[in-house]
Amino acid sequence: MDSRNKVTNRVRDFRGQVDGMTQQDLADRVGVTRQTIISIEGGRYNPSVALALRLAQTFGVPVENLFQLSEEEHHD
Amino acid sequence: MTEETAGYRFPPVTALVASGLVAVGVLLFMFVHEGLLVVAGFGAFGPGVLRELGWLGGLDEFQRQAAHRAGYHAYLVGGLAAVLVVSALRGFGPDTGISTDWITLILVVLWITWLFSTLLTYWGARMTAKRVLLTFGSFWAVFVIAMLVSEQWEEVSPGQTALAILWAVLLVVPFFVLAWLAGRRPRMAGLLLLGVAAVVSVVLFPTWAGGSLDWSSVLLTATLLLVPLVGSGIALLREGARATFTCPRPDSPRSTTLSS
Repeated sequence: MDSRNKVTNRVRDFRGQVDGMTQQDLADRVGVTRQTIISIEGGRYNPSVALALRLAQTFGVPVENLFQLSEEEHHD
Repeated sequence: MTEETAGYRFPPVTALVASGLVAVGVLLFMFVHEGLLVVAGFGAFGPGVLRELGWLGGLDEFQRQAAHRAGYHAYLVGGLAAVLVVSALRGFGPDTGISTDWITLILVVLWITWLFSTLLTYWGARMTAKRVLLTFGSFWAVFVIAMLVSEQWEEVSPGQTALAILWAVLLVVPFFVLAWLAGRRPRMAGLLLLGVAAVVSVVLFPTWAGGSLDWSSVLLTATLLLVPLVGSGIALLREGARATFTCPRPDSPRSTTLSS
């Protein structure tokens, strides 16, 4: 497996399922800036393990429900 | 999807202070004294330096990654530009009358900072300090042995010979002792390294500056000597301060406390 693996996430979907939760609300809950949440939801930034776990904890789901390796995975 | 409703947030105090210093510095530079550009420098680089030293927080992991990426890009572009300028001026050199020594100095500062930072990331503070000190000590040892071998010993007394050998040993041994100490007592080794750097600055620097060397050469030598010493010292002090794990041996696998 090489470094071209793409990580996708469903943070935006899960946030949408919580009534009225804004990106700022989520950012405050996990202790980062709103810009970080925007970048994660936009797929431009893969969070650290610690932040991924905090996000999963916030939504009450296992971390693998929130982050997945994409189908375009490369095996070398 | 939930739409954004968050309003405007006031910029953090650090950003306001830094921006204010840059603005004031530029104004002072333009209207009062050109040397006061240093005030703008404090604003532009101060917060980053304080954050890297661990004395200022305020950035989350994404912002830190962005800052590090931007810094690396600045290093590549700045380094390349400096090399091109030095090459061009040296290549078409004598007629321009522009000295490239100061640009070379900045290039060396860039390069050695990059190298040292990379080593710290790869090896950690203890191993980096240990290897840097062993390298320093080895170079000193070779230098001292070469000096001793090249001396005309038949012209000096046995007492002077013994003194020369003792002086040579005194110059070399501290590096190896500090290297040993860095792995076991990082805080003490860090303090001693900063002490050595201070002594070098206070004792040797004026001697060099008062000699035949020009200022750029003096600063170049000081950079090559002081950056590894001060860098290792600060890194070891920080390592000692946050060493919450209980395995002092640097060569063995250790349990670490990861901070987010």
